[in-house]
Amino acid sequence: MRVLAKAFAGFLMLAAVATAADAKTLRINVTGDPAMLDPITYSELVAGRVLRNVYEGFTDFTPDGKIVNVLAESWTALPGEHGFRFNLRKNVKFHSGRAFTAKDVKYTLEQLAAPDTKAGIGAGYVARIVGIEDVKGGKTKDLSGVKIVDDHTIEIRFTKPDVLFPIYPIWFMDSGIVADKGADWVRTVSAGTGPFKFKEWRRGAFVEIDANKDYWGNKAKIDAVRFLVIPNGDTALAQYEAGELDVLDVQESTIRRVMRDASKEKERQVVPRAQSRFLAMNPLVYAPFKDKRVREAISLTINRDGMIRGFYDNAAFQLHGITTPGVAGYFNDLPKPKYDPEAAKKLLADAGFPGGRGLPPIDISSTAVFKDELTYYANELNRTLGMQVNVNVVERATFIRAMNAGEVAFFPWGWTSGYPDAMYYLEQMWHSKSPYNRGRWFNAKYDALIDEATATVDDAKRFQLYRQAEMVYIDDVGAAPLPMVAAIALVKPNVTNARATPFGFDRFVFAEIK
Amino acid sequence: MLRFVAWRLAGLVPVLGIVLVATFLATYALPGDPVLVMLSDHSSNVEMANRLRAEYGLDQPLWKQFFNYIAGVVVGDFGMSYRYVRIPVVEVLSDGIKISPILALAALAAAAAIGIGAGILAAIKRNSGVDTAIILILVAGLSIPNFAFATFFVYIFSIKMGALPVAGWGRIDQAILPVAILAIPSAAYIARLTRTFMLEVLGQDYIRTARAKGLAERVVIARHALRNILVPLLTSMGIIFGGLISGTFVVETIFNIPGLGRLAIDSVFARDYPVAMAIVMLFTAFFVLINLAVDVAYAIIDPRIRQRMGVK
Repeated sequence: MRVLAKAFAGFLMLAAVATAADAKTLRINVTGDPAMLDPITYSELVAGRVLRNVYEGFTDFTPDGKIVNVLAESWTALPGEHGFRFNLRKNVKFHSGRAFTAKDVKYTLEQLAAPDTKAGIGAGYVARIVGIEDVKGGKTKDLSGVKIVDDHTIEIRFTKPDVLFPIYPIWFMDSGIVADKGADWVRTVSAGTGPFKFKEWRRGAFVEIDANKDYWGNKAKIDAVRFLVIPNGDTALAQYEAGELDVLDVQESTIRRVMRDASKEKERQVVPRAQSRFLAMNPLVYAPFKDKRVREAISLTINRDGMIRGFYDNAAFQLHGITTPGVAGYFNDLPKPKYDPEAAKKLLADAGFPGGRGLPPIDISSTAVFKDELTYYANELNRTLGMQVNVNVVERATFIRAMNAGEVAFFPWGWTSGYPDAMYYLEQMWHSKSPYNRGRWFNAKYDALIDEATATVDDAKRFQLYRQAEMVYIDDVGAAPLPMVAAIALVKPNVTNARATPFGFDRFVFAEIK
Repeated sequence: MLRFVAWRLAGLVPVLGIVLVATFLATYALPGDPVLVMLSDHSSNVEMANRLRAEYGLDQPLWKQFFNYIAGVVVGDFGMSYRYVRIPVVEVLSDGIKISPILALAALAAAAAIGIGAGILAAIKRNSGVDTAIILILVAGLSIPNFAFATFFVYIFSIKMGALPVAGWGRIDQAILPVAILAIPSAAYIARLTRTFMLEVLGQDYIRTARAKGLAERVVIARHALRNILVPLLTSMGIIFGGLISGTFVVETIFNIPGLGRLAIDSVFARDYPVAMAIVMLFTAFFVLINLAVDVAYAIIDPRIRQRMGVK
């Protein structure tokens, strides 16, 4: 009898193992632990990868950059004022089971402004709401620019026009969560409305999210997603090859191996990244950069096709100006930057520096990731133009501080967009008032066009303004556009709809495992 | 014996104190302001930077930061992690601390078992084919770096044969490759030591006596020869364990094991100094404790040392 019981117990255990294996868990790599898992302090990439599946905002976007309504059913501009009235989706429930209402929208916006929350990226998106300064300064907790009309209608007013507000990735959270689970709620639960909910975070190992059975929309076709923390790119690739990962986010160190491996062609996805790359020339630090001819000569010296082949094994895209493919307001018919060493030499001579004579020596600087590129530019500029360029590799945080302070003369860099509209690049990178205008290129015409665009609600009209502004930048060589490195993913043949997009992976609610 | 252990434990305090001061000053001298790393692209936001600086006490003078840190460490509070928002260092370490010592100890056990066995075998079969083969393997084990072994083994056992997982931690099969890779150089080293010590001991008079009185060779080796080489072997075990602890840095990175070694490397890159400093302290403590364990083991094995220590 005891033997039978034992055998039965053993059978049960086997059955349990079998069910666990049947549960469809999508396994994907991330390069590190998320620094946080709540939508208020959220400020880095890995956290974004996870949270995008757990929390939702007014809208979301498809892999090709189209905006879709999520928690907002519709919205209208407030007549005669800067602001919007949003009609919220009904019958939406948080992971706690509570209903999603206008109160939660207001609560989230207030949390993003509260002085004690260390708010992350989202804080920038609420900066123009009326009354934000009073909440930030601790004078009040009530955000006066947000008015709850009824449970499913809310009005938001701004001090300045902010036509893109509906597409900002502001993720709404459950206003009752702190009362329910305490200030430490994020350790045990998630407070969103998304198709997945938080299950477990084993630091250094993985973060797992489970399908939300009560999701308001089309439910996930898989049971869970496990984000495995794998800092080393080669280890991640080996794990994918051994079948321990279903989806591989290919890291820089293994791009060559992945691109050259013909057997992986069917599993490979190569998409542009929402990252604008440029070689900045700061005229306030290095006087010769004030002359457009010098800037143009430098741009003409860069062999971008050669770089794409040689550096990136064709896994890169050539940018025409500032904007990147897959982002609204991108035009693919803008003139491409040219490679013409002879014309470059002539321009530099015209500017008064024939053969580089008379140009003071200059450092080309960046972080260690750009090391090879820096050497290439320095060599090429010296060989073609006779410029004396020294390579200078700087520690990342120190370098970002120096760039923000406008202290760096000559550097390649990239700027990653936070939402799929070209405004992010156009305003933040090159408007003279932006704190992130690190190259300090300044053009009054460009500024005026962008200012006009920020107040233009109509998409088509706004995109035309973007186009004109980008042409001003191209004509004036605000910086030399550089090739943008593609995002590369490998996806196992039995997995469908796990799509790489310019903004990381598409939401895994669509993914299927056969 | 207890007095001896207590005395040695007390000696741990100044050692940790010196390490504490040294790591504190070293992290302070490193380039890269942790607040700027936390803010990254937003480092031009002076308001945010000041708020963070105040929150972590980084706006205070160096001596004050130091005393605050010491005061915390004394009561077991290593502060808050810079990288993980609102998570104390102690909690960040809580998983890794269960992994790295186990990994190092498992490797030590494996290395000792294989190393001593191979060493004795080589010594007994001196100048035979077996001896030469063992020496050849030893040279390979000592001179090929462990990341090369790791790549090769992963390719063979995981990718080609699919027998073992590539990476991870938590199941027994996930531990086999990392422990093996970590143990290889130490096993080779122990084997070489054992062979040398063994050959020396086997030439001694008392071994001849033991053989002369008709003892079986097995007994001669196990009871008379091995017992006598254990003390010098144990001495090297302490040093070997130190090497294994630092070896976990490499092995944990290759096999993606969420232990202290990988965490230390990640923390340094992320400028998460409180975590990095706590790990240095922990590793120092492990090192001192294992040496203490070695000294205690001497006393157990060798009655002469026991007597010298004044233990009955």
